[in-house]
Amino acid sequence: MANDLVSEADTAVAREMGLLSEQAIERRLKAVALGPDDLARIARVREPILGHIEEYTASFFDYLAELDEARDFMRNRDAVEQARRLKVQHLVAMVGGQYGTEYAQQRIKLGRLYSRAGLEMRLFLGAFHDLLRRIGATLLANATTGEEAFKDFVSLNKVAFFDIGIIVDVMVFERERVISRQQEAIRELTTPVLQIRDRLLMLPIIGTLDTHRARMLTEGLLHAIRANRARVVVMDVTGVSAVDTKVANHLLQTVAASRLMGATVIVTGLSAEVSQTLVNLGVDLAGLQTIGDLQGGIEEAERLIGYQVLRTEQRSPSPSLSS
Amino acid sequence: MSVPILRFGDVLIASIQLAQTDAELLALRDRLAGQVGDARARGVIIDVSALDVMDSFATRTLRAIAYSSRLRGAHTIVVGISPEVAFSMVQLGLELGAVSTALDLDDAIAQIEERRRSQQRRD
Repeated sequence: MANDLVSEADTAVAREMGLLSEQAIERRLKAVALGPDDLARIARVREPILGHIEEYTASFFDYLAELDEARDFMRNRDAVEQARRLKVQHLVAMVGGQYGTEYAQQRIKLGRLYSRAGLEMRLFLGAFHDLLRRIGATLLANATTGEEAFKDFVSLNKVAFFDIGIIVDVMVFERERVISRQQEAIRELTTPVLQIRDRLLMLPIIGTLDTHRARMLTEGLLHAIRANRARVVVMDVTGVSAVDTKVANHLLQTVAASRLMGATVIVTGLSAEVSQTLVNLGVDLAGLQTIGDLQGGIEEAERLIGYQVLRTEQRSPSPSLSS
Repeated sequence: MSVPILRFGDVLIASIQLAQTDAELLALRDRLAGQVGDARARGVIIDVSALDVMDSFATRTLRAIAYSSRLRGAHTIVVGISPEVAFSMVQLGLELGAVSTALDLDDAIAQIEERRRSQQRRD
């Protein structure tokens, strides 16, 4: 059961979320208005709740089992087993009265487990709501009056919302992390700088250029110019479908920066549509050396560097010569 | 520290090693203008690879050196602008205008040789 303890990774997430400081926890507790009165009430209802913890936990997972959407999660037996144990631990801690960094880290661990196992947030919220309803029933049975039970419930609810706050944040955080990782992958994939001859680079641009991507692309190109000692760069924009003033300016900046490093840039593959748009936009491309297609661009680049590409003699002589 | 100006055949090489004050840059401009005549230089190479900042004054001064050298018959090439400097210059809208650039000293010398050859062909 060692893996039920808070792991390095959980602590790392907590740190990245800025949850490890006492102040951050304080702020969160303040946000749900948990006060000394609430702690006193929670301490009073502790015993009756502790007596039902197994039952609550079972009901939480039974509730999820009823939902079609949670089927994938429930099939993941290892995750469910661990979640079950952590849920028991959670409920015990929930009435424990200690809501510090350790408590928060345990919630983070549970939140990460849910998000890794693919439990949707709304399903978790539904099941957790059902669990709170059952706790409410216990409180009602143990309190002297309905009003007292309600007050107890409100106090406990504050802790519950404190927990939900953390768990939802973790699930959002994990999701954002996945997205940013994918974005990173896409960015790296789509801006390769290729060397096609000594001192001749090619930069195929595909897709849309936003400011961020244009910046990455320019930086990548400039470093490649230095690393490969490039003299000529052929920038092919055949794969760029839409061009506006901003994109045109990015291209001009890339060309100007390359020139500062002593490299000539040849832009190829401006489609009829794109070139019409640029003319209509009034973008001044006078500083650009453009050639219709990639082949022409590479030929011109080879000429600039001093390459001469000669076709070797044909292996089978043409009929007119042999006869 | 003033920038040393080396002579390599009929090429003057000024290698800027430290960040320069505006006054030092102006001094470099004036010394180069004098030496282009004394050395009957055909080329001036200014190496800025040690600089990690290039402001508008430095850019303007480099332009001024290039234009005035050209009037006296020498072609100026700025070499060694780093990727970071190139990018920030473009972002700031700083331009070297018609000043030639090269990746490094090797390339700059090759460029000057190339110019010399093409001029001789014309003669």
